[in-house]
This record gives sequence, C-alpha cells and structure tokens, in this order.
Amino acid sequence: MKPVVKKLLGSPLVGALTSPLSVDDYLALIDRRLSLREPRGRVSAVARQTPDSVTLTIEPNDNWTGHRPGQHLLLGVDLDGVRHSRCFSIVSAPGDPLIEVTVKRNGDGRVSNFLVDHAERGQLIYLSPAEGDFCPGPSVPESALLISAGSGITPVMGVLRDWLARDLVQDVVFVHYARSATDMIYAAELAALDARHPGLRVETVYTAEGGGRIDAAALDARVPDLAERETWLCGPAGFMDAAEPLVRARSNRPLHREQFAATRREAAHGEGAVQFVKSDIAASGENGSLLEVAEGAGLKPAYGCRMGICHACKCRVSEGTVRDLRTNRVRDVRDTDLQLCIHAAAGDVAVEL
Amino acid sequence: MGKPTHLSEADIAEFGRELDAVRDEVMNDVGERDARYIHNILATQRYSEVVGRAMLMAGFLPPAWLSGVGLLSLSKILENMEIGHNVMHGQWDWMNDPALDSGTYEWDNTCPSDQWKHSHNYVHHTFTNIVDLDRDLGYSVLRMSEDQAWEPRFLVQPGIALTLAAFFQWGVALHDLEWERIGKDKSWSEVGTQARGIWGKVRNQLFKDYVAFPLLAGPMAPFVISGNFAANFNRNIWSFMIIFCGHFTDEVEMFDVEETRDEARGQWYLRQLLGSSNLDGSVPFHILSGHLSYQIEHHLFPDMPSHRYREIAPRVQAICERYGLNYNTGPLSKQFGGVVKRILRMSLPHRRKGNTLADESSVDAPVYAEAA
Ligand SMILES: Cc1cc2nc3c(=O)[nH]c(=O)nc-3n(C[C@H](O)[C@H](O)[C@H](O)COP(=O)(O)OP(=O)(O)OC[C@H]3O[C@@H](n4cnc5c(N)ncnc54)[C@H](O)[C@@H]3O)c2cc1C
Ligand code: FES
Repeated sequence: MKPVVKKLLGSPLVGALTSPLSVDDYLALIDRRLSLREPRGRVSAVARQTPDSVTLTIEPNDNWTGHRPGQHLLLGVDLDGVRHSRCFSIVSAPGDPLIEVTVKRNGDGRVSNFLVDHAERGQLIYLSPAEGDFCPGPSVPESALLISAGSGITPVMGVLRDWLARDLVQDVVFVHYARSATDMIYAAELAALDARHPGLRVETVYTAEGGGRIDAAALDARVPDLAERETWLCGPAGFMDAAEPLVRARSNRPLHREQFAATRREAAHGEGAVQFVKSDIAASGENGSLLEVAEGAGLKPAYGCRMGICHACKCRVSEGTVRDLRTNRVRDVRDTDLQLCIHAAAGDVAVEL
Repeated sequence: MGKPTHLSEADIAEFGRELDAVRDEVMNDVGERDARYIHNILATQRYSEVVGRAMLMAGFLPPAWLSGVGLLSLSKILENMEIGHNVMHGQWDWMNDPALDSGTYEWDNTCPSDQWKHSHNYVHHTFTNIVDLDRDLGYSVLRMSEDQAWEPRFLVQPGIALTLAAFFQWGVALHDLEWERIGKDKSWSEVGTQARGIWGKVRNQLFKDYVAFPLLAGPMAPFVISGNFAANFNRNIWSFMIIFCGHFTDEVEMFDVEETRDEARGQWYLRQLLGSSNLDGSVPFHILSGHLSYQIEHHLFPDMPSHRYREIAPRVQAICERYGLNYNTGPLSKQFGGVVKRILRMSLPHRRKGNTLADESSVDAPVYAEAA
C-alpha cells in the first residue's frame, strides 16, 4: 500500500465511515493480505529441500517491521476453518525484504504437516511481529561456534546469513547434527558457503549414518579452541540438555540458546477443580497445564508454542488460584488473561472457555 | 402456564440427552464449510453496503435511490441479524479469527455490544420467558403475559409497540439500563457508565449516517440522509418483527420463577423449546432473519453456527414429536398475527382466573395437553 493511501485510510474520517467495522474488514474485499496494522503475508516461493520439510518464502505486507537475526515469529494459517498459529524461526537475514522459514514435519502435528504437504504459492499467512533474543546485539565475536541439531538449524542459519551479509565472518565453526544426509535441510547451502568462505568451517554429523551423538570427546576433537568461542545453540530438548553442559564446561564466553520445545518440567500437574464456564464443563485440575486440562475435557482452545512465548493460548480466567509452571509461583487471580499452557490449577479455577 | 405434565423427570432427562447428542454432532463437525458460509455472508454484507451507499450518492434518480436503500437495508440487516447477533453469541469463536471474536466484535447498532451481551446473552437466554426475570418479555414497556400485572398504562401499548418497532434499535440501546432498578439495587454511577457507552455508539452511528456520508455526497446529501434513515428504519421494523415472533406468538409458553428453580439440563431445554417459536420460509428469508426464524434451535443451542439450525431443525422437530411436545412454527403472517393479537389482548385488564388450563382455552392452549 502506498504510504499516502495508508495514511488516508488510517485517518479518523475513514475510520468513522467504516465504524463500527474496521477499514481492514473492507480491504479484505480486495485482498486479505491488506491491513492497516496487522502483519500478513503471502507465500511467494515454495521449495522442498528434503522429503519432510518445506522452505517458504513469504512476502509480508508493509506492517511487517523486520527482525533481528535468529528471531522467530508466529505463522497463522486457516485449516478447516480454524486459525492455527505456530512458532517458526526466521532464516532470512534482516536485510532481506522477504521472510524465509523452513518447516519440518513434527509427528502428526497439524500445521507442520499441512505446510510440508500442501503449502503453495499465493497462500495467505498471518504473521506476528518477530520476537526472541537469540542475538542480543548486532556485534559479531572474533570467533564463534554455531551448533545445532535437526530443525534447530534454522535460527542458527539465520544468524550466519546475517553475518555473511554484513561480511563480518572471521572465524566461525558450524557443527550441525542431522539424522542423515537426505534429512538435512540447508545442506547444499552450507556446503557451498563452506567452500567459499575461508573464515567458515562446517562440520556435519549424520547420527543415523555412524556419526555418533554429541559427547565430550567428539566436541573436543571438532572444536579444540572452544574456550575462546561465543556459542549459539539450538536443537531438540534432548540435544540441548546434552550439549549445553558440555559447552559451558569448556567456555566462559556467552552461550546463546533458542529452544523449540519446553524442557519437561518436574511438576506439570495441578490440583483443585477447573470449571470451564462457557461450555459448562468441570474437570480435575490434576492433569497438567490448564491447556492440557482443557484439551482433556474435549475443548479445543487456541495454542501455538505451548511453552509460554507466543500468547496464542491466552484466555480469561474469571477467578482462581494458579501456579506458573515456569517459576512455580502460586497466585490468586480474578478476571485476568492468562497463558493456559504455562499455568496449572493450584486450587479451584474458573476459565472462560 | 409453564411446563407440560405428561413427561416424567426421566423422560425430560432423556429428551435433554437426545438434544445434547444433536449438539455434539454438529459442534464436532464445524469446519471449512461453515467458514466459507460466514465469509460469503461477510462479503455480501460489505459489498451491498459499498454499492448501496454509492447508489444513494446518485439518489436524485429514483431507481438509484430505491436500490441504494434496498442494498443498504440488506447490509444493515445482515450485519445486525446474521453477523453481529450471532458473532456475539460466540457462534464463530471456534475459528480463532479476531474479526469474528465474541469478546471484541462491535456491531452497527446504538446498543454497545457489552451491554447487549449482558441483557441478551445472559439475562434473556438464561431466564427465557420467566415472568419478572426475562426482561425481554415486553422489554419492560409492554405487557406480554397474563402473569404480568395489568396497569392502566398498558391501554396504550399498541401505540407504544408501533413506536418501538419504528425505533427498535433505540429501545435495544436503552434496554440494559434497567431503569426499574435504578436507585434501588443499581447505582447512578453504573448507569452513567452505561450511558456513556451508549452515547459513544449513538454518536458514531449518527455521525456516519447523517454527517460524514452526506458530506461526502455534497449536493446529493439530502438523498443520502433520507436513504440512510430509510435503511435504519427498515432494519428496525424487520428486526422488531422477527424478534417479537420469536417469543410472543400465540402458542408460546411463559413460566414463573417457582417452576424453573433448580432446572436440570433437560428442563432448561424444555423451557427454551416451549418459550420460542419458529418462522417458516425460504433460505434467503432465514438468512435475513439471522436464522432467528429458527428461534427454537437458536435457544437450544445459542452458540451453534446459525446456518446449521436449518439442517438440524427437522431432527429437533422429530424429537419434539416423539415426546409429544409442541414445536411452534408457522409462516410470518400467522406468527406475527399472533404477536399482534397478544399485544392487543394484553393491553386490556384480562386476567386468568385461577391457574387451571380450562380458563385459557382460547389463549395459550398448549398442544401438549392434547398429546398427553
Ligand atoms: C521459538 C521456536 C522456534 C521454532 N522454529 C522452528 C523452525 O524454524 N522450524 C520448525 O520446523 N519448527 C520450529 N519450531 C517448532 C514448531 O513450532 C513446532 O514443530 C510446531 O508447533 C509444530 O506444529 P504442529 O501444528 O505441526 O504440531 P502440533 O499439532 O502443535 O503438535 C506438536 C507435537 O505434539 C504432537 N501432538 C499433537 N497433538 C497431540 C495429542 N493430542 N496427543 C499427543 N501428542 C500430540 C504432535 O505429533 C507433534 O509432535 C519452533 C518452535 C519454537 C518454540
Ligand atoms: S501456546 Fe504459546 S503461550 Fe501458550
């Protein structure tokens, strides 16, 4: 949208002409990507690097305010009439006007399977502003270790692309663990970069082809000078749990981590009774987070990350006592919007679902 | 008055379970088809508004003015009846679309949506047709049941009803102020807050329909003003008719507080059924009524996507037949005739003698009494 058009449409007069509906409601007649405020995009290219993944290039509208390397965003798609939003890391460098993400099939998960199997050019995607602190600042260390496993390569790749684009790669080691060569996303790009950039060394380990899982000996052999390196780490929870102490034991330099799934918490169960007010269902609060309790009761609340970062699961709690599963803090709430995925009942709770 | 006597408590519970099964089946099936339906309605409403308002700008040509009024009326009716009312019931919440969220949707009506959700979704849908609790029973200006005490002011209620029809949205806007409670258990400051909400909506609608669009129209302003007035008027009349046919037709039942205490699910369903009446008609007619022509189905399942009422109605009717319950339906002419008769009858100080069925043979004769 041209800035002057946008300014005009955003004026109080046009607002009054469309009230109580919004200008967006009418823009949708032309193209649902158009909006005065909401970031939305269309898929402009689809590539399938491996059988179980899809790489999407998304052309955002002008409400997209850009991102920092390694950040993620919520992608929303309408599946069978329902809007589902999930977190994905941005692989494209901040300077790139298009957003690139790579989605790996996650079990029988709804959104990842849909995108891997059916994503196509022109598809409308709802976006959120970028979030995350994988890269706290723009500076690039003299020597760095990038270490990832599986689909965890995406934010790390995003960081590397940014450094390359700004021509700031001096001494970077990139160690990536994939199940097999056919499974590895960004394999071709990494190999090409490795050949072209003297400051970059790429080590790929295929765990299902005799490469072995991450351990102390292998890490020492691959990165003998780890002590001097600042590290960026991302992968499945089990991999993170194994890799993080190894790195910390070898280097005092900053370690940056991006996590795709919550690490298993000790006490994910609650207590008391949960009343779902709108649907008039009562359930025991014992079985996990309020989100899991709701799902167990047959409800279908919205969710995204299931780990407290996206706010997709936010829902009004009319009253009750809840425990924050990240901190274990218990508090009484009344008419409060809470993220259901990271709160459990700590007494009777009334949820407006 | 009230509930039938030929069903045992177990029968009523089973009746409730059968209705629950219908509900569960539909709610587990909502998806793409329903989303497409509401998106088509949204597009129709918006296109008809845009084209209607454009035609009014050429309103000096009588055909343009007439089609402008027609399209704008269509748009306003769709927005209030099939979109706003139903969205605010949460019928489309399952889509997770912020534009169709019952929590935030604001409709083109002088009544603010939060006050509507209180007076309509909560008070009316919970206490449907319970005398003294359901404030929609006559909207506290009309006497609609023998069990409401007669007062001399009701002598002029036919005139009041006509006025209410012409200015229906304004009546709706003032409804939740609950003037009979003010100064008693409702504070003036609460009323003040509500009044400010109403004023915000009033101001926006008046500005849009009678200042902003006329200004845009320049010399055509008079045609735009009259056209917008006509469209608002048409919607008032239409929604008055549809809504009054929902609960005030001839055979509809009223209840007293006592008999509805501690209702179980099945009994609640039963009251919703007997307190509501349907309208027969074509598909476009149903859509224009916001599917309130399926008032029975709507009151049984207020948060089910409206177009599904059409599909389940035969099943609901069959269930009612099996339980010997009256499924009150008829064409608009018959049902609205019943409403008019009721308004006229109740304006006079007729009172049921005692509480026996025999006395009401001409009025409210419930069909289930025969079926029993
Ligand atoms: C910050 C962040 C960044 C991320 N970046 C990326 C990325 O770049 N690329 C990428 O591919 N992924 C990324 N992810 C992970 C991605 O968000 C998830 O894989 C995504 O949520 C999958 O969504 P889904 O709808 O396919 O699965 P969901 O339907 O949400 O299911 C998730 C998992 O739960 C299982 N499951 C679903 N329902 C049930 C049930 N009823 N009972 C038991 N198990 C069930 C599924 O099989 C699946 O394994 C990221 C996650 C985070 C938090
Ligand atoms: S699902 Fe993302 S915050 Fe709960």
